[in-house]
Amino acid sequence: MLGLNIQLLVAGLSVGSIYALVALGLVMTYKASDVLNFAQGEILTAGAYIALLFSVTLKFPYYQSFFLTIILISGLGILLERVAFRPLIMAPPFTIIIATLAVGQMIKNLIRLIWQSDVHRLSPPFRMAIWKWQDIRVNTQAVWVIACALIITGILAVFFRSSWLGKAMRSVSQNQQGARLMGISVERVFSLTWAISAALGAAAGILIAPLIGVYPDMGLVLVKAFVASIIGGFTSLAGAVVGGLVVGLIETFSGAYISSTFKEFVAFILLIVLLMFRPYGLFGAKQARRV
Amino acid sequence: MKKLLVCTGLILLTTFFIVSEDAHSQQGVTNDSILIGGFGPITGPAAWIGLGARDGINLAIKEINSAGGIQGRKLRLIFEDDAASPSRALAGVKKLVDQDKVFMLFCGAGSNSTVGVIDFVKERKIPMIVSIASAPGVTRPFNKYLFRGGTTEVARYGEIYSDFVTQGLQAEKIAIISGRDEYPKNEADSLTKYLKSWFNIDPVVRVEFNAGDKDFTPQLLEIKKANPEVVAILGHPPEAAIILRQARELGLEQHFFGGAATVDPAVPLNAKFAAEGFTGTFLLPIYLDSKDTDMVKFRQAYKKEYPSHPAGRPNWCDVMAYTDTYVIAEGMKRAGKNLTVDKFISAMETLRDYRVSRIATPRTFTSEHHIGNLRLQPLVVLNGRWVPLAWEPSRPSDVLKKP
Repeated sequence: MLGLNIQLLVAGLSVGSIYALVALGLVMTYKASDVLNFAQGEILTAGAYIALLFSVTLKFPYYQSFFLTIILISGLGILLERVAFRPLIMAPPFTIIIATLAVGQMIKNLIRLIWQSDVHRLSPPFRMAIWKWQDIRVNTQAVWVIACALIITGILAVFFRSSWLGKAMRSVSQNQQGARLMGISVERVFSLTWAISAALGAAAGILIAPLIGVYPDMGLVLVKAFVASIIGGFTSLAGAVVGGLVVGLIETFSGAYISSTFKEFVAFILLIVLLMFRPYGLFGAKQARRV
Repeated sequence: MKKLLVCTGLILLTTFFIVSEDAHSQQGVTNDSILIGGFGPITGPAAWIGLGARDGINLAIKEINSAGGIQGRKLRLIFEDDAASPSRALAGVKKLVDQDKVFMLFCGAGSNSTVGVIDFVKERKIPMIVSIASAPGVTRPFNKYLFRGGTTEVARYGEIYSDFVTQGLQAEKIAIISGRDEYPKNEADSLTKYLKSWFNIDPVVRVEFNAGDKDFTPQLLEIKKANPEVVAILGHPPEAAIILRQARELGLEQHFFGGAATVDPAVPLNAKFAAEGFTGTFLLPIYLDSKDTDMVKFRQAYKKEYPSHPAGRPNWCDVMAYTDTYVIAEGMKRAGKNLTVDKFISAMETLRDYRVSRIATPRTFTSEHHIGNLRLQPLVVLNGRWVPLAWEPSRPSDVLKKP
């Protein structure tokens, strides 16, 4: 029984890390620019395909492909912000949401046009091995994904707390006018936020690709990541990670102990129940307004 | 005199127009061409089906026309995009029949779109061959205008799977893990039904997953607890590859058998060593990367016609549509010079085990059934490639027995 639970724990953390990585990107753009980016799933997919292009077609080594992909997709994030979303800055929120959906569909269909719908393989950075201990078996690539998710969260936490740029981004997310008065270029901060968010999406795509393959619908993981973001509190990066891990664990354990049918919608049940008691999520806080 | 000359002139003019049309006024047929209306998804997530169908048909048409056509007539194709939507398929078919005036329809669509057009096709009495969709409504109830080509009946999947798993793999304890969407669910229901009715076996466990799932640990642990001899994976390639990999990681050493949709190069490519020994069934008698001379010849012809084809093409839809185009061409040839719908249907019903080459399964149509193909070829993954297995079903199909 203990072995079964540990096995499920590892599986839950592994899939939860995927949700967490995508949720981080969602929360970042929302915190900085109030935009709910429904193209984040397709940015993840684009990252995986660009890494595929570098590593399989151009035969670059893994880490070179990884960093080149991050740089390229960061550039894509900046381009999307400047061309697709900044012109809509004064538009109603619903319009911007539709714009992000449209951008996502464009990216996905462009991928289909070039690579068709086949499932491709992206090799991991090291040979996949299975750690065995009694009845428990752990895939080293899954551990790598969990570790990377935690490392990236740590780096972001330090960045936002300690770096000038991170503080600037936090101030823009709190009060754009005030930030402007302090000499911060709000537009540049938006661009940087989108660049980082896109980079997070690309990193997620590259990390999960060796486990699930590379195919145009990879980005559907966004749905669960969105739930994870809300559970964590949509304004908290730590909350996004915790939310992702919680969703992954709840799904896995409910699939084992209740039924695999239940696994699909348990995340949504959890969301509704949580919001009834904590409407701002686990780590979110009600925004205070001066009246 | 003047009136006589005018009347004579009108009569001659009318006769000229009648004669210069096809002698028998058959829609879609002229003295020098036969017009075929094709449809399928060439945009959207299912575009791999329609693009394969369109390109396969076009390749066959080019070859047939180069060899002189059918009774001196060239084949022409108009292909409509249905984007895998039943309503768009119906709109496309209506246009093909009413505006373009095609002789017959070639359905290169999936089941979803196909069911949307069946009633219209029956009502308008236009022959249609369905190359890829397995929707039961194509052949049940029997309608003389509808033909099923390279694909086979849904029930036949269950028959072949159950026969192969119990007689071929010699298993009595079978677990099923299947997708919750329509096609894998139908496969799983059909397999369960025939395991029981033919071999009196119930699956030891049956679990489901959703398309897009990334982790199958709960399902696989449940299967591991049931300790089956064979595990049947019925779903799509991305999930099948993950299931195989995770199964081996969790210590499941059983034999894995996959449904027709899992026979895809993506499965051994992504599951690597975990896919070795994985068996499945395929609608073509030889796999796409086979060194068989007929498949090599097909690939060369394809590459010459489509030099910048994307990776992963030709796929099985290309081959199915290509071979089914030859099937209908044979029917047209046998129908003779005065081609009509009824003569075409009667000619198609004379086909017995017809196939253009070894890349196709034999097609048979009679006046009582238009189910062209009842064969599925078992394959196994060896050294990362799908290779055919020498195996024949142990019992005849019940599909043809049904009213």
